Amino acid sequence: MTPMECEVAEMIIESLNLEDTQVEDIEPEAALFGEGLGLDSIDALELSLAISQRYGFQIKSDDSENQRIFSSLKTLTQHIEANRGN
Amino acid sequence: MSLNNSPLSLPLILESEPDEQWLITRFERLSRGQFLGVVSAVAQSLPDRQFAINLCEDRRNFMVGFAAALVRHQTVLMPSNRSVGTIAEIAAQYPDSYILSDGLEGPEGVMQFDCTHLPWGSPVETQVPMIAGDHVAAIVFTSGSTGRAVPNTKTWASLVRGAELAQQRFGFNQRTGIVATVPPQHMYGLETSVLVPLVTGARVYGGRPFFPEDIRQALACMGQHSLLVTTPIHLRACVTSGLVWPDIESVISATAALDEALAQQAEAVFKTPVQEIYGCTEAGSLASRQTTRDAIWKLYEGFRLYWQKEQVILSAEHLAADVPLSDVVDEVDQHHFRLLGRHQDMLNIAGKRASLMDLNLKLNAVPGVEDAVFVVPDSKERVVTRLAALVVAPSRSEKQIIRDLSRQLDPVFLPRPLYQVEALPRNETGKLTRDALMQLIERKEGCA
Repeated sequence: MTPMECEVAEMIIESLNLEDTQVEDIEPEAALFGEGLGLDSIDALELSLAISQRYGFQIKSDDSENQRIFSSLKTLTQHIEANRGN
Repeated sequence: MSLNNSPLSLPLILESEPDEQWLITRFERLSRGQFLGVVSAVAQSLPDRQFAINLCEDRRNFMVGFAAALVRHQTVLMPSNRSVGTIAEIAAQYPDSYILSDGLEGPEGVMQFDCTHLPWGSPVETQVPMIAGDHVAAIVFTSGSTGRAVPNTKTWASLVRGAELAQQRFGFNQRTGIVATVPPQHMYGLETSVLVPLVTGARVYGGRPFFPEDIRQALACMGQHSLLVTTPIHLRACVTSGLVWPDIESVISATAALDEALAQQAEAVFKTPVQEIYGCTEAGSLASRQTTRDAIWKLYEGFRLYWQKEQVILSAEHLAADVPLSDVVDEVDQHHFRLLGRHQDMLNIAGKRASLMDLNLKLNAVPGVEDAVFVVPDSKERVVTRLAALVVAPSRSEKQIIRDLSRQLDPVFLPRPLYQVEALPRNETGKLTRDALMQLIERKEGCA
């Protein structure tokens, strides 16, 4: 896990209050939603708020990229790195 | 004469006008004539079956599939959720069915019509199809208390009438620009974001915006007279996003009780009144209020309430049958009521009565509580049943919450236990099913 993936994993755990989950429990390439970490659409909404507060940009789904962005910790981290404000 | 059985035909859609932009996305603006062109092309290629299970997520795809099925005299089936199990159950009950889908894979063995790439460039069609008023246009399924899907049959005449009554209340017209965050398969979503546009000509945003930024862009895209059709969950996200919102005309919320504090915040952020709709799948939307201003709900024109023993019954000419309300209401007069709680939610603990809905509102109003619900455990013995509660409140301790709550409630209603959880197991429309709540409680008990 890269340092940035680790940071994003911490944000996921913190913003969704996944108290029983440790950073190392989240595999970078495993699914976050559904069968993976078991997150749902309300979690996605919650995560989008955390991301906008921490990284200063808004998540969008209109371009139907949403599924790819949220598919794993790795893709979410890549999306954040590509879009975060400086 | 009952409208429901009317043999009269009613237009599928309001006639097209020159230069109109009706079905709108960020990339494309279709007139009703262009939409009808697509509908006509798709209708010709639909399978020759009686029932179309419409699972399309994109609102444009859903609308084309819905309209094309009606043109072919088919009935559109709308499951209460998109799980494979639910869809398989419905497909088994309606063997002459197929699936309309724009991505989701249906259960194996069920015929599927792909709506991913619809022929958007089809020639304009100006001839408006007429649909028989007594044609069963849709069957909307609700998740019954027993876990089995319950069918609610809707004729075309009753759907059209429902949209007209909503129009009377909210004044929708061809300038109105509807942006909805709710799925079109839900009765509230179907009525407000599909039928109202078809019947009244109100403009509609073709996508299903989900994140606050999607919603902001969609509203900006609709321009003046835009109207946000949403739920308390999305309103909360919009309010906390810190975004600057375009000027909009109105906000409508439904599917769950809207907390007054949240309604106030939303009115401040959107600078416009927030209207709350009360409805049920059986009758569609039927009453509204401005949450920050009115304690009393006002029925739409055409609906009236009457009492039968302890039960309040809703009646309207366009409904096939009268509908007993599943909520406890205090009748103010035939056209106004106060909502006290759900019937099955009326509690009696140690001789004291309370409504679960009211308890939930109080629990959710505790400072720091983001989401919360009371759960009535299965009572195994005839002793005093204690309520359990599941609470999302990361900044508060369980003791603090109980302490605050004890200021609001009779001690018999204080939850024991109160579990802090990371999120409530809400489904797509924000509803909480008893099964999901009980599972979560059992998991929590296992940890304790």
